[in-house]
Amino acid sequence: MVLIDSSTTPTRAPAPGVLDGYKPIPGTYDELVDDKGATRAHGQMLAGMLRNMSADAFARCQALAELSLAQRGVTFSVYSDSRGTEKVMPVCLIPRVMGAVEWARLEKGLVQRLTTLQLFLDDLYGPQKVIADRIIPAELLLGSKQYLPQLRGMKPPGGVRIHIAGIDLIRSPDGVLRVLEDNLRTPSGVSYVIENRLITKRLFPAAMDRIGVRRVDDYPVQLVETLRSVSPEDPDRSTIVVLTPGPFNSAYFEHSFLARSMGIELVEASDLFVHGNEVFVRTTLGPRRVHVIYRRTDDAFIDPEFFRPDSLLGVPGLMRAWAAGKVTLANAPGNGVADDKAIYPYVPDLVRYYLGEDPIVEQVPTYICARPADRDFVLGHLSELVVKAVDEAGGYGMLMGPQASAAEIAMFHDRVSADPRRYIAQRRIELSTSPTWVADSRTVEPRRIDLRPFVLSGKGRSWVLPGGLTRVALRPGSYVVNSSQGGGSKDTWVQAEAS
Amino acid sequence: MISRVADHCVWLGRYVERAESTARLLQVTRTLAFDAELPPMACWRPLVIVSGQYPELVGQLGAESAGNGEAVQRYVTWAPENPVSIRNSIRAAREGARSIREVIGHDIWEATNELYLWFMSEGAASQYLHDRDEVYRHIRRSTQLCLGLVRSTMLHDQPMDFLWLGVMLERVGQTARTLDMHHHIRTAAELGQQSLLGNAIWLSLLRACSGFEAFMREQQGRVSGEAVVGFLLFESRFPRSLRYCLKTALGLVQRLAGARTRGLSEARERLQALDRWLDVQEKNGLAISDHALLTHVVDETAAACGTLQKSLSARDPEMSIPQPEAAQ
Repeated sequence: MVLIDSSTTPTRAPAPGVLDGYKPIPGTYDELVDDKGATRAHGQMLAGMLRNMSADAFARCQALAELSLAQRGVTFSVYSDSRGTEKVMPVCLIPRVMGAVEWARLEKGLVQRLTTLQLFLDDLYGPQKVIADRIIPAELLLGSKQYLPQLRGMKPPGGVRIHIAGIDLIRSPDGVLRVLEDNLRTPSGVSYVIENRLITKRLFPAAMDRIGVRRVDDYPVQLVETLRSVSPEDPDRSTIVVLTPGPFNSAYFEHSFLARSMGIELVEASDLFVHGNEVFVRTTLGPRRVHVIYRRTDDAFIDPEFFRPDSLLGVPGLMRAWAAGKVTLANAPGNGVADDKAIYPYVPDLVRYYLGEDPIVEQVPTYICARPADRDFVLGHLSELVVKAVDEAGGYGMLMGPQASAAEIAMFHDRVSADPRRYIAQRRIELSTSPTWVADSRTVEPRRIDLRPFVLSGKGRSWVLPGGLTRVALRPGSYVVNSSQGGGSKDTWVQAEAS
Repeated sequence: MISRVADHCVWLGRYVERAESTARLLQVTRTLAFDAELPPMACWRPLVIVSGQYPELVGQLGAESAGNGEAVQRYVTWAPENPVSIRNSIRAAREGARSIREVIGHDIWEATNELYLWFMSEGAASQYLHDRDEVYRHIRRSTQLCLGLVRSTMLHDQPMDFLWLGVMLERVGQTARTLDMHHHIRTAAELGQQSLLGNAIWLSLLRACSGFEAFMREQQGRVSGEAVVGFLLFESRFPRSLRYCLKTALGLVQRLAGARTRGLSEARERLQALDRWLDVQEKNGLAISDHALLTHVVDETAAACGTLQKSLSARDPEMSIPQPEAAQ
């Protein structure tokens, strides 16, 4: 395939560049251009490149990128089709650039947050001081569907619970990055970060060079070192595997990608069995002992003996082996309670409680209806707020105040009054935008984005991938960045520190 | 390596090889149908018979369809309901490659995926209408690329041995089936053994096995049924002969077994028996396209594949636990 580095193609006449006429949405923070229309400091190089690119040149690059992704098989499966139809992850070639200073601060903040959540999980599945000290109401914690009381007293082999975290961040109109959600179970998306980078490297090498973009391609090496460090036995003599639900899982590409780039085996549950509390994989040479499992399956499908007696999925006896300290599961089971909606509002308090520090990264201000003052405010402002039931997911039990009918608001007024502990509320955040290629009109327009950085934690080591997955809501006016609902991704360029 | 993955490797090799040999057979039969003044039924029906799908084709499209070159080509190339159509072989190869991508590596995956994406594209469908030879050529080139990459990019280790074992076993069956076509063509056209037309058929079958030039060099142009059959059955230096493929398959099985791979003994015994049987046939001078003989080869190869698959996918709870060993 012939690829053109358009960023180095000199323009003879000042042809219209794709960035001409770009206007951010009023009241929304744009990542490249400020509200006076001036390019932000860290975006100068990128803006310069885009101003020199015609729509034709950009469309050509975009088409090459899409072809390359299809040929490399960078796809996700769509669940609604039982045959597992694959779609290419939509990608916008215009990267999101993050300045070195902001990134350094974010890295510190993420490590602080993960350290806190790890201490919180150790405490919750151990002495439960957080309850005795009344930091979080006991009924909120113990009543969470994600809290697994049968794990209390078990210590994870290797000591780490959140080996791989994906923290979803958004930027509010005041320019502040805020945590929207912690993903501490099986966060996905890192393979797109690396694949997107391969494409931008091929298409925009000169611009990347000038900006000084930090590399992301050592993620697999960092991941396998992280996993090795938490082995229950000699790390250098340990067998590590990736456990996938199989080719029809929506993230199968990533499971395969990670196993391949770490040089370890990709296994399905039926390849594993437990004998005398040790885990083995069935190989052509007979059974081989397994020490660390990077599992990309949900808690409920780890071990039918432990979680779902009715299920045939999973590896019978795996939890026994884990409890006996014979195998490390990454991430540890039971982490869901720490990324629960009901716990989220308390994370800043947890940072202060466990570390005695102020939180470095902000989060979205949240009203906890269990608190009388918050409840009264929420009841008086339902039409402005997003109200969420803490024990529901996927948009159920949710009120979008600004779009809701009077009847819906009245219904939620009754519900919140009757059972305030079940509800939290937030203002709808105007997600920041990034210039995004719109294929239909062949123009560049602002589209809303979020950011999912990945944090690896091993024994005595933490590492933040300098970049992360920037997801973009490709539909005009949309706030939904999920790939299943018209979302795409962008490469995230983190500038190296100025030397 | 993981037993399930070993099974996938065998099947990947088989599907890729099957797509190639099917494309080649279609291309050659087209040429034969144009040149040889054979009735269309005598050309096309044997192709469907040796693929094992004759009753299904007749059931779906009627008995006369087997004499319709377009219908047969469409059925063997595209039909989703034909389990051995090129479409299904390419799709299965690509799905197999996708599920063992971390084992075969990126190059082989990309070549398989590109073949699949191209074959399912409108471009391929329209090329099929306007330049059909190019479609079959494209399939042959792409599958050859995949198999070439297997040998030139993969570690020469167990996964490659299993993959190549699949290729060799499929090729044994395909070569036997191709030879068997002669029997069916001759029966259908009521031809004498030594007619010129008979020679045209032998040469076509050589071409279908990529053996035309090698054969001509060996025989310096002396074409006879005995010579062609002898070449395709017994020539140990020709990489598509039964003897070569069987010996290579046996060598791979022995190497895998030597590396302590379990569950291969039954497949090895079957292949050894077939190899010995082939020796006997050669000594007895039975270098003739005997339908029963070739059917035996096809059946025995299928049985060897069956036992291989069964032992690789076994979920034996009695698998003995090894002593601690070095990490991989």
